[in-house]
Amino acid sequence: MVKEDETFPCDLIFLSSSRADGTCHVTTASLDGESSHKTHYAVQDTKGFHTEEDIDSLHATIECERPQPDLYKFVGRINVYNDLNDPVVRPLGSENLLLRGATLKNTEKIFGVAVYTGMETKMALNYQSKSQKRSAVEKSMNVFLIVYLCILVSKALINTIMKYVWQSEPFRDEPWYNQKTEAERQRNLLLRAFTDFLAFMVLFNYIIPVSMYVTVEMQKFLGSYFITWDEEMFDEETGEGPLVNTSDLNEELGQVEYVFTDKTGTLTENNMEFKECCVEGHVYVPHAVCNGQVLPTAAAIDMIDASPGAGGREREELFFRAVCLCHTIQVKDDDEVDGPRKSPDSGKRCAYISSSPDEVALVEGIQRLGFTYLRLKDNYMELRNRDNDIERFELLEILSFDSVRRRMSVIVKSATGEIYLFCKGADSSIFPRVIEGKVDQIQSRVERNAVEGLRTLCVAYKRLIQEEYEGIYKLLQAAKVALHDRERKLAEAYEQIEKDLILLGATAVEDRLQEKAADTIEALQKAGIKVWVLTGDKMETAAAACYACRLFRRNTQLLEVTTKRLEEQSLHDVLCELSKTVLHCSASLTRDSFSGLSADVQDYGLIIDGAALSLIMKPHEDGSSSNYRELFLDICRNCSAVLCCRMAPLQKAQIVKLIKFSKEHPITLAIGDGANDVSMILEAHVGIGIIGKEGRQAARNSDYAIPKFKHLKKMLLVHGHFYYIRISELVQYFFYKNVCFIFPQFLYQFFCGFSQQTLYDTAYLTLYNISFTSLPILLHSLTEQHVAMDTLKRDPALYRDIAKNALLCWRVFIYWTFLGVFDALVFFFGAYFMFENTTVTSNGQVFGNWTFGTLVFTVMVFTVTLKLALDTHYWTWINHFVIWGSLLFYVVFSLLWGGIIWPFLSYQRMYYVFIHMLSSGPAWLAIVLLVAVSLLPDVLKKVLCRQLWPSATERVQRSSSRRAPADAAPSPDRPLLMDPEPRPRRE
Amino acid sequence: MAMNYNAKDEVDGGPPCAPGGTAKNRRPDNTAFKQQRLPAWQPILTAGTVLPTFFIIGLIFIPIGIGIFVTSNNIREIEIDYTGTDPSSPCNKCLSPNVTPCICTINFTLEQSFEGNVFMYYGLSNFYQNHRRYVKSRDDSQLNGDPSALLNPSKECEPYRRNEDKPIAPCGAIANSMFNDTLDLFLVGNESDPTPIHLIKKGIAWWTDKNVKFRNPPGADIPLEERFKGTTKPVNWVKPVYMLDPNEDNSGFINEDFIVWMRTAALPTFRKLYRLIERKSDLHPTLPAGRYYLNITYNYPVHSFDGRKRMILSTISWMGGKNPFLGIAYIAIGSISFLLGVVLLVINHKYRNSSNTADITI
Repeated sequence: MVKEDETFPCDLIFLSSSRADGTCHVTTASLDGESSHKTHYAVQDTKGFHTEEDIDSLHATIECERPQPDLYKFVGRINVYNDLNDPVVRPLGSENLLLRGATLKNTEKIFGVAVYTGMETKMALNYQSKSQKRSAVEKSMNVFLIVYLCILVSKALINTIMKYVWQSEPFRDEPWYNQKTEAERQRNLLLRAFTDFLAFMVLFNYIIPVSMYVTVEMQKFLGSYFITWDEEMFDEETGEGPLVNTSDLNEELGQVEYVFTDKTGTLTENNMEFKECCVEGHVYVPHAVCNGQVLPTAAAIDMIDASPGAGGREREELFFRAVCLCHTIQVKDDDEVDGPRKSPDSGKRCAYISSSPDEVALVEGIQRLGFTYLRLKDNYMELRNRDNDIERFELLEILSFDSVRRRMSVIVKSATGEIYLFCKGADSSIFPRVIEGKVDQIQSRVERNAVEGLRTLCVAYKRLIQEEYEGIYKLLQAAKVALHDRERKLAEAYEQIEKDLILLGATAVEDRLQEKAADTIEALQKAGIKVWVLTGDKMETAAAACYACRLFRRNTQLLEVTTKRLEEQSLHDVLCELSKTVLHCSASLTRDSFSGLSADVQDYGLIIDGAALSLIMKPHEDGSSSNYRELFLDICRNCSAVLCCRMAPLQKAQIVKLIKFSKEHPITLAIGDGANDVSMILEAHVGIGIIGKEGRQAARNSDYAIPKFKHLKKMLLVHGHFYYIRISELVQYFFYKNVCFIFPQFLYQFFCGFSQQTLYDTAYLTLYNISFTSLPILLHSLTEQHVAMDTLKRDPALYRDIAKNALLCWRVFIYWTFLGVFDALVFFFGAYFMFENTTVTSNGQVFGNWTFGTLVFTVMVFTVTLKLALDTHYWTWINHFVIWGSLLFYVVFSLLWGGIIWPFLSYQRMYYVFIHMLSSGPAWLAIVLLVAVSLLPDVLKKVLCRQLWPSATERVQRSSSRRAPADAAPSPDRPLLMDPEPRPRRE
Repeated sequence: MAMNYNAKDEVDGGPPCAPGGTAKNRRPDNTAFKQQRLPAWQPILTAGTVLPTFFIIGLIFIPIGIGIFVTSNNIREIEIDYTGTDPSSPCNKCLSPNVTPCICTINFTLEQSFEGNVFMYYGLSNFYQNHRRYVKSRDDSQLNGDPSALLNPSKECEPYRRNEDKPIAPCGAIANSMFNDTLDLFLVGNESDPTPIHLIKKGIAWWTDKNVKFRNPPGADIPLEERFKGTTKPVNWVKPVYMLDPNEDNSGFINEDFIVWMRTAALPTFRKLYRLIERKSDLHPTLPAGRYYLNITYNYPVHSFDGRKRMILSTISWMGGKNPFLGIAYIAIGSISFLLGVVLLVINHKYRNSSNTADITI
């Protein structure tokens, strides 16, 4: 038993509730974030049990499937044993299942029986992480790591071999002053060599920056907060900010080459408004919308009055009733309910709630045409007709909507006892099932609406006689009770039922574009990102939306690979022809760009539909499919925009996969808002969910969730860019500083008889990566902004500078490594020549090996930290604090470490070493000199590159820095980089 | 214009989140840190900013370098190899282990007089004091006068830990191989009998080592020998540690020659301070030019590992002994950076012209 506002402790089968109709409301906010109330239904046979005794007397068994993580699916059945009869079998679905973690609302108490508990509950199963996504940075990091591992092993190997070569003369192996113990002498040569090898490995192991992984993780975790904190990505309307579900992919946002976007709810508002309906060729427009609009069908309202004959009238009313009845909307009487979609008709006290905004728009639209859906009570749907009479229909069956069938149906029984099946769905799924009705007229109207970017649905009906219905009932029941393959069986049953329909009419709903969608797409395209629209909508609707959001421009030449065209030509011919056009274009493009006339090159846009795509993807017997795929990819690559319409969710994922595994392995990003986008979101390198109206499923499965499509721009161009440069600097710097750290040790082996003597004291070895040099780079990688945020937003082309993992390519990696080696050579040999056979103090006393190591280490800590200071373009007080702070910490620590005889140490080798070193003038001079020498080449390289071959980013940096003192207020609209055609990437 | 622009920014950045609505609590804070808008200094390394730095480095480094170089060149230093591998060398006889004790004499001449304090070093080559097995073969607790460590030295000292069932004090390979040649310096004056040069053996070790890090076993009133009771001398030593010097202040673990030896050198060729020769008066040079001879009690074998032994006499400046490297390096880096500055200036000049024209065309 669970009381109101309590959370369900495990997954329960809902037996009965304190409400008379056996329903209860729950909110699953903690499960999927949807705060709306959902209605669940008690099992029919048990909803009468209202006391604990009643429940005790219940004798029933429940069969259910094995625990599954899908929150919205449940298959099971309950056998209720009455004393007299055979057991009654009832199907159980997700509507009977109360999930652990959900909270009971508006219901006093419910009774339920536990089916899944503990780790088997759906909530617990959902804790399982999704398949892990790895960013490109992480991959190259791992490659670099392998390189370093090879370096490590080869270093150890070289030293081991050198050691034995060197030791081959016995006086070197064991001079009189340094004899081995008896045990050491007797050890086997091979064993000794192996232990030596291992000892070298231990000595040099710091070259593998273990702490890098810790720092990278910390950077990613902390860095992701900047996304959630971003005020500009907070949406005032919905009160939602961006969500970060994984912090592993922050830098991947700066690497995106392909964006796959859903249309509905992503590019568009998913805020549906009923535009018109068309019954048998007559067009109706609701008053409210009609105001001030000059539609070609402005006279439509008259049509309602001038009723077109009795039969027409009947059809018309049937149509309205169909729209009124064929849905799964719930009515909320309660105004307090935080349902976001109240009826705009504020005079009504009821609000419609549905998982599909189309349905709400339809029912609201029909309301304006006179038919008001009132409520569903005791399986009777009530609606008020034009004459203000209340009509009641018994709801017999709901054949619920799914994205494969793309339609839904209800079977209702009117008060007069007539049984109707009303079916509503996409035109493509309705028309083939229609046997009667003015198909041509309606189809033309539908197409016209689609071109205007409206979403169309067709409505059809079928009258059933009692026997037919009983047949259907049995069919459905059998399918519903099935434990295995229930989905498939249901689909088959639906297929059988929804046929031989009579077409009534079509509806059109407008879906407005999201604000700044066009702006965002334009920016993305300027940033060198290819935007693909993948939608389930009709081609015409989708194309209209694409024009509206400037994905296609007026001069874009559209290439079509559609079913229609394929009927005329074979796939092969179409593809060949297209590729010829496109390749010719790209050839001319290169010519043009050579001659500098790149301004108006022909843009190509590709439109492909689901059927054609499946043809391309379908593997042929002779294996020629890969040819088609390659051809198709070639075409796609040369098109500035691609629109894929009529896509099933799986096809969306397929497309993403196709691009993902094409030969350049581009980084893909998928963005969508609905459950149908989940597969694509999971498939792409980065999945972004829109916290939209079609529920939270997409947001839940995504890596990042944002409230609006427009936020994608900042997400990629600003955050992605920043994260990428930050993390790449972090990775390269870590490798660099560890080369600096370990390479002197390697060199020292040549001067200490390859005896694995460490150059630095143990404390320095341990603390180098942990405290002397860790914080500056961590903070650098959190706050660095090489270019101002506004500039990045204003100038999307800067995104191209970092495309293709530019900052982690081999060239850069080798540069950093060589810089590290150079610096290490400077440190070591600088100190070597300082110490060689002389004294450096003014009292003639000499220094030992620990002073030598400390000098190298001091120079190194300063160089490495100052190198980071040189790379920092954005000095906040935090950077000042950590950079100067960690240098100060090093000095203070060294003074302290050498200033005391530490009682817990068995050796006192560092005693006063650092202080004595500082008392020597030449040591200071050497530190200054060596730091300067180490930094010189890097400064030189930076300056020369900036001066001679500046990248776009550097030009912007320069111009902005020049502008700032010049006091010229940059106008926010004018891009700083005036180059209309950004330079081709250096490759 | 710019002022307006900035001011507008500030206003935008300030209060707008104050009038809170229902969903406002989820709204991110508008703090400079969270919005990544902390005030920041944004330096960019351009030729313009780096140029002066290069010139300044050049201008500072070259004089420093010249100063160091001159100082280094003014230092007098003489190095005398007395290994005796050369058959003509007077110390050649000492190579065979039979002659004990072996005393040899080497003559040398100072062309110029040594002014100020003169420092006498011994230098060894090819001697790996930085070998790992060697470096760790010591017990700092024992050397610090810890009575328990005295009788039970650390395992690191193996195989120089115990001898004939007695703990070795001081234990370990470093102590065992302590340098034990004796060097004496005589000035051959105009007269026939030479004058010995007074060699001071105090002040050659670090003050902190002598007074803190190294201590004899406790017991102020007891004679030193008693304090080392129960231990034995290192195998290679002739005398036990408490007889290193007749003076108790310089004997035992706090013998300065011993302390100097115990500070292991960084490189296989090294020198260690042996004695000081103090300046007597301002008028006379410490070591006037002339003929000298070095009297060596040759004990320390280096021939077996191809080593060399040297005696070095050197004066010291504020920057230590003779070391041309630092001065040359400073001069070189200073010149390079000056040169680079010039190159950059040229590049910058050219580039600025072209960029200006580019700006105009845009």
